[in-house]
Amino acid sequence: MIFTIEHLSKRFDAKEVLRDISFSFESGKIYGLLGRNGAGKTTLFNCLNGDLKADSGIYTIQDTAGTRTPVPDDIGYVLSTPTVPEFLTGREFLKFFCDIHSGRIKGIRPLDDYFDYIGIDRMDRDKLLKDYSHGMKNKMQMLINIIAQPNLLLLDEPLTSLDVVVAEEMKDVLRSIKSDRITILSTHIMDLALDMCDEIVLLSHGVLEKVDKNNLDNNDFKDKIIAALKEETNV
Amino acid sequence: MFKTFRISFMLKNTYRTNAILHGIKQLPFIGKLIPDTVYGMPAFKIIAYVIAIIYEISTLLIWKLAYFFFFIALWTMIGDVSRQLQPEFFLHLLIPLTITGAFIHNFMFEAEKHKYYAMMQLNMDSRQFTLVNYFYELAKYFIGFLICGLLFGLILGLHIWECLLIPVFAASAKTLVCAYQINRFKRGKPVTNSSSLLKNGLLLIGLCLFIPGLYITGLLGFTIPRYASWAIIAFVIAGTALTCRSIFSFTEYRAMNKEILSSQLINQMDKSAQRRMIVDRNRKIISLDKNISSNKNGFEYLNELFIKRHRKTLWGNSIIITAVIAGLIILASVVCIMVPKVGSGLNETLMRSLPYFCIIMYAINRGMYFTQALFMNCDHSLLTYSFYKEPKSILSLFRIRLREITKVNLLPAATGGAGLALLLFLSGGTDNPINYAVLFVSICAMSIFFSVHYLTIYYLLQPYNAGTEIKSGTYQVINIGTYMVCFFFMNVKLPTLYFGLSTIAFCVLYCIIACILVYKFAPKTFRIRT
Repeated sequence: MIFTIEHLSKRFDAKEVLRDISFSFESGKIYGLLGRNGAGKTTLFNCLNGDLKADSGIYTIQDTAGTRTPVPDDIGYVLSTPTVPEFLTGREFLKFFCDIHSGRIKGIRPLDDYFDYIGIDRMDRDKLLKDYSHGMKNKMQMLINIIAQPNLLLLDEPLTSLDVVVAEEMKDVLRSIKSDRITILSTHIMDLALDMCDEIVLLSHGVLEKVDKNNLDNNDFKDKIIAALKEETNV
Repeated sequence: MFKTFRISFMLKNTYRTNAILHGIKQLPFIGKLIPDTVYGMPAFKIIAYVIAIIYEISTLLIWKLAYFFFFIALWTMIGDVSRQLQPEFFLHLLIPLTITGAFIHNFMFEAEKHKYYAMMQLNMDSRQFTLVNYFYELAKYFIGFLICGLLFGLILGLHIWECLLIPVFAASAKTLVCAYQINRFKRGKPVTNSSSLLKNGLLLIGLCLFIPGLYITGLLGFTIPRYASWAIIAFVIAGTALTCRSIFSFTEYRAMNKEILSSQLINQMDKSAQRRMIVDRNRKIISLDKNISSNKNGFEYLNELFIKRHRKTLWGNSIIITAVIAGLIILASVVCIMVPKVGSGLNETLMRSLPYFCIIMYAINRGMYFTQALFMNCDHSLLTYSFYKEPKSILSLFRIRLREITKVNLLPAATGGAGLALLLFLSGGTDNPINYAVLFVSICAMSIFFSVHYLTIYYLLQPYNAGTEIKSGTYQVINIGTYMVCFFFMNVKLPTLYFGLSTIAFCVLYCIIACILVYKFAPKTFRIRT
């Protein structure tokens, strides 16, 4: 499966944030999206997720059945600040989600299996989500997106505010589900990008640009990425 | 001291200048023409600076003139106070009002943004900054009172020496309150200012009784004797002379300002703190009852749990309003039966009062609170998930919510409508029995209209962003417009039958159009604003 962006542009008043972007992403890979503050990473995600109307551009998914425009079910979006309906318990949220998707998602399992998979304790499953910790809310958000089995998973700074244990658990989860989908992970943390991602893509000057690792070791690759990001300010 | 004054004055003006430019940028049409770089453009800066200076100078006199005219002089005309009694009447109002004002609005304790910038962000010497600013404002206050005291005092027959003492008294009252507040702070008690005083219910009730009482006693001729007024003035001035040292010797200005600013201003200026406050407030309205559950599925399941866990907020006020309406109707019914004369007057009023119910139904409708709760505790989070934004999901939930919001609003409306029909019957009835049905149905129709209206504009304009701030000007304009239209209807003079039938027809038509618009556009518009 290939997800393709063609001629995507977005401007806010005089500032052109995304400039005629054309890029293709392949399934089975985690893409690390790097860019400086204000480069437009969240804007790009918002456009892809349909939360923000782009000025121009088309997106397509090409798979064995042919080429088509993505539908909302194709995209999963995990925000850095987890947003879950706080008036529901963890179990109620999961039940609601499974109800809505019954018949659309293959092989829905008992709810407790999902909680076991993501690592939420039995005693926490019937608590209101408003009483969940940040890490637990993040797990719930991730779990919903995993069950939905989106073809394109957008992760906006997903691990930044998690404690080290939860962050490691989440990394394992992301690695385990990467084979069937395209995962794009935006982050400021270079080590996380190098550790997790198969490809590094820079968002600079409003365009996406792949950084080839070639035969560089991690330190040289880091230097290359930083040099590329610095170029942006020197323009 | 002069350096502190110069810096604080410049800071205040810079803040005001930028606020003026920001305000101009927010204007419809004109704002679009002004570039983002306006804050660095000398020509615009100079214009805004001149406006800021004019504002500063105008505050010297405009408010004082308005105060002396509307709160004091006007009442001598309204009460037709004799020339001989005018000085006494003038002092009877001026002295208590000025002392009350010294407590309610005292520059030293007001939470203002330039104070936060100077003392908290730029770390200026808090004692110097507070004193310099206080005496600058006090000087302005003194000059304003001097001019107005002379002008109005002489017109109302005071001696010139009395007029000259008025600004001394006014400035002393402010300073005496400062000494009192500082003394309270030293004893570990909270500092009070206009915002905290206005949140004090007991004090508000006291003020609501005291101020009208002051005017009523004055107008009835029971004024404070002139000698007593001068005794109070002398006491205030002497008290200030004895206690003002404590203002200069006080050293904890930073701690005091921090308390004032953090309780009101830091939360306003720190967006993330503000957001946390909103989130916390909305979390608190979720019921913790562990017995709440639902046997439904899908969106009906989501809706039922939402309604049950927000029952107090969504239904609480509606039930209270219904109880009040029912109580009033029972009372009016008893009066109608016991005193037939009152009943006939009521009958006539009822036949003409239907247009007034537009504004009443507007005021008691819970539509806006309902949609706010929906966004804050439900849609704010779920709109980040793709499945929730699918047209099918949006429209199914719209239908369910329309049913719920209508139920909440219909309870008081149906009680009121049925009660009015009953009152019409008890107060002598009507020649045309259709009037009973029209009264009941039109009030219910108004309630349904407001329910549909608020939910429709919520779905079509979805005014909130991820930070739960309202970001749609159109949404606010429509809300103001709704109020104005309801207000306008109070002046419509139409018989109940015609007004009622037109209302029903309009409400049905509006509901049909609104639902068509939601079905057509909501799948595109029902998004979190970015």
